[in-house]
Amino acid sequence: MANPRFEAQLARFFYRPDEDVGAWLELAPEIAEAGEVAEELPEEFLAFELGAEVYAVPIGAVREILKVPAITGVPRVAEHVLGVMNVRGEMLPVYDLKQRLRLVDAPQRVTGPTDLPRESRVVLLKDPEGDAGILVDRVQGVVRLPLSKLEPAPNLGADRRAVAGLGRAGGNLYILLDVEAALA
Amino acid sequence: MAPPRALSEFVAEANEVLETLAHDVAVLDAQRGREPEPDLLNAIFRAAHSLKGLSGMFGQERISTLAHHLEDVLDALRLGKVLASDALLDAILDGVDVLTLMLREASGEAPSDETARRATALTETFVRLASGGQQTAVDVLDEVGLDPAIRSVFTEYEEHRLRENVKKGIALWKVRAVFSLDDFDQRLAGLNATLKPLGEVISTLPSSQPGDETSIAFDLIFGSPRPQHEIETAVQTMASVQPLTNKPVRPRLVSEPEPDAPRTRPAPRPPVFASDVSSPELTPLSSSSPSGVMQGAEPSLRSLAQTVRVDIARLDGLMNVIGELLTVRANIHRLADVARQAGATPLPKLWGQELQKEARALERKLDELQAGVLDVRMVPLGQVFDKLARLMRRLVRQSGKDVHFEVSGGDVELDKLIVEELSDPLMHLLRNALDHGVETPDRRIAQGKDARGLIRLKAQQLGNQVQIEVGDDGAGMDEGRIKQVAIERGLVTRELTDELERRDLLNLVFLPGFSTRKDVSELSGRGVGLDVVKTNLARLSGLIDIDSRRGEGTTFVLTLPLTLAIIRALIVGVADRTFAVPLNSVTEIVAVKPAELRTIERREVLEVRGQTLPFVRLSRIFGLQELPVERHFVVVIGLAQERLGLAVDALLGQEDIVTKPLGGRLKGVPGIAGATELGDRRAVLVLDVAALVEELKRPQAAVG
Ligand SMILES: Nc1ncnc2c1ncn2[C@@H]1O[C@H](COP(=O)(O)OP(=O)(O)O)[C@@H](O)[C@H]1O
Repeated sequence: MANPRFEAQLARFFYRPDEDVGAWLELAPEIAEAGEVAEELPEEFLAFELGAEVYAVPIGAVREILKVPAITGVPRVAEHVLGVMNVRGEMLPVYDLKQRLRLVDAPQRVTGPTDLPRESRVVLLKDPEGDAGILVDRVQGVVRLPLSKLEPAPNLGADRRAVAGLGRAGGNLYILLDVEAALA
Repeated sequence: MAPPRALSEFVAEANEVLETLAHDVAVLDAQRGREPEPDLLNAIFRAAHSLKGLSGMFGQERISTLAHHLEDVLDALRLGKVLASDALLDAILDGVDVLTLMLREASGEAPSDETARRATALTETFVRLASGGQQTAVDVLDEVGLDPAIRSVFTEYEEHRLRENVKKGIALWKVRAVFSLDDFDQRLAGLNATLKPLGEVISTLPSSQPGDETSIAFDLIFGSPRPQHEIETAVQTMASVQPLTNKPVRPRLVSEPEPDAPRTRPAPRPPVFASDVSSPELTPLSSSSPSGVMQGAEPSLRSLAQTVRVDIARLDGLMNVIGELLTVRANIHRLADVARQAGATPLPKLWGQELQKEARALERKLDELQAGVLDVRMVPLGQVFDKLARLMRRLVRQSGKDVHFEVSGGDVELDKLIVEELSDPLMHLLRNALDHGVETPDRRIAQGKDARGLIRLKAQQLGNQVQIEVGDDGAGMDEGRIKQVAIERGLVTRELTDELERRDLLNLVFLPGFSTRKDVSELSGRGVGLDVVKTNLARLSGLIDIDSRRGEGTTFVLTLPLTLAIIRALIVGVADRTFAVPLNSVTEIVAVKPAELRTIERREVLEVRGQTLPFVRLSRIFGLQELPVERHFVVVIGLAQERLGLAVDALLGQEDIVTKPLGGRLKGVPGIAGATELGDRRAVLVLDVAALVEELKRPQAAVG
């Protein structure tokens, strides 16, 4: 249709539920990338990339890894809130951690998978205040970081309060995310 | 050991699809000997298709292959290439069973040779059955001279429906309509509703000659026995009507032998279905004409039945209210006349009082009307209970246990939407009662219980809520074991469990991945767990509770609201976003040109029939891009005494929505009540009209 304003409306009109495999595609990457997620050992972390840095959260805090869904922007909220997504009927917020952690200067506008590189994912975190997704550039997989060898976070100033500590494995550095602080 | 999460998710999804499939196949089975309903066949076909795709995606070759062959057979069936013979129905039923077995094996159960053997045999049967039919030698569509260019755009299914119509001597029409993009979906729905009583809308095609930038044309391919002028009268100015075929469709007599019937039918078998023109049981045209099988707008599985049956007494009630509204209208007219005749002379005080009285009566009656319409949405729970009872009987038979299944409260009514969504959770709880609850007869006797177990499904209304209980008189839940399993699975720490009360311990079974099954070969591996039941209920704003006593049994208590907060909403576009505005607060919608706006103390206002209203741009208060427009659509919001004109860029239609809270930390966003999901699953924000009005009343909110 010539007028892009109506594209979504037309798409909705011609949408057929049986052609939609979105929900399954969301699950499929779990096989390939995080097959071992079910094992909930305390030293296991999910590692993911934000820009050039590699972050990690305890596996137990991860509810699900999603392909980037459609994200609906919400007015009047902090810049690092990208919006809400519909996860099988539940409306959950999606956070832009890169903005929150000041890894980028300008907030990005994301309305769905087409705005992002293919490897982008939303990691859905469990949180007592309500589960929330974080947008990551790539999921690396599960790493084991021996708890005894974790280092405290270096003092980097107020903006980096969301860093809980550092972990090393195989010559790589992992920044451990304090989930609660990161979503605040 | 729990299967990996992705696998269990697959099993969950596949199981859901398979259950739908099984339901529908059971219905099909019950209709043996009659012509299968096109809707039902389509639903079954789609479920098989989904299962094929789903299992293929997860590398479940065996399931995918069998589903694929099942799909082929179903496709042949729905296209009328083969008949719904007993052999075919048996094979389909068997297919569902084998698929269920294979899914169990996929989820960790040891694969059995028996299943493999059955699958191979079935595949052969399916292939044989599906290829049973050949295309008809003379195509009736050629006979009537259907333009091949038009023909190429139809799906095979649509062609089949065209053919069926022609065979019955029903003429085909092309109904062309041009609608504005702003509201084409509503208008198209309106046109469909107009056409349906006259025949079957076979396909809706976006027209080859689109309108201009702001409109869209559709060709509705329509089968109807009515004469052209009658259809034209019905659609009035909405659309134009032309015959689709070059040659007239020849009305056929029922007794006329059909030259182009499928040749595959074994000769001695008496024909069974209406498509068999020689059948003595043939239903007359008027009643066999399907009520609008519209491929283009196939409803999703769950909402297959978009209709509610209504007790005539309820409609009478609504009519009464409308009668009373007419009285109110007459009174208002009278008062208006008085006012007009009074001219410049001041009106008596009595006049004002009377007007006020009528206004109040109007309000009351409208409330009644609304409540009445809500009431019409209510359906008895018996609708799902019956289905569940059928499935339970089968499961009990398979389980080898002796169980009495007792159902009560089927007459309790709930909103149609809730009732539909309840069937899966209830099924799961009933299966649990059978698997985990009721013991084997030997065991029961050993414990001094009656050999026959009891499973109860009971509903009752308590005020504004409905309580549904699923209970068994079985083994009850073993806290010790639950604790142990939860710790083993790493779901909780030992320290934590020591602090938990019994009730909280029982609630551990709602954690994802929790199961006390040791032996995966029992009825296990269904993938769906109580966690899913709980989330599904939460979606319906329902709660679930457990009452369990060791040795005496377990009862799950579900508490649900009578109606979901389903509201009608206006869907609007602002900048490139979409929002939903609850219609109950919308008094009217007007279009204004920017030049018609005025300002008062630098705030924009607008005049609507003599009244001056604040004019507020939604884009501005939400900090969105302001598009230049030729005219604003203004949604006039009335709330108590306050009125407000909210400007939006586009009106996209009306929809029934359920508002869900924004999860987590986004709860209190001012002006946003929550989000809802429309057809494409994208979340759409719902405006909190009261909060917006409140906010804009405050003097500092000089935003207009
Ligand atoms: N009616 C019941 N009687 C006793 N125990 C039950 C009952 N229903 C559920 N349970 C317990 O709750 C657990 C979790 O159930 P569920 O989530 O359905 O998973 P699954 O049935 O696959 O084990 C079961 O393993 C069982 O221990």
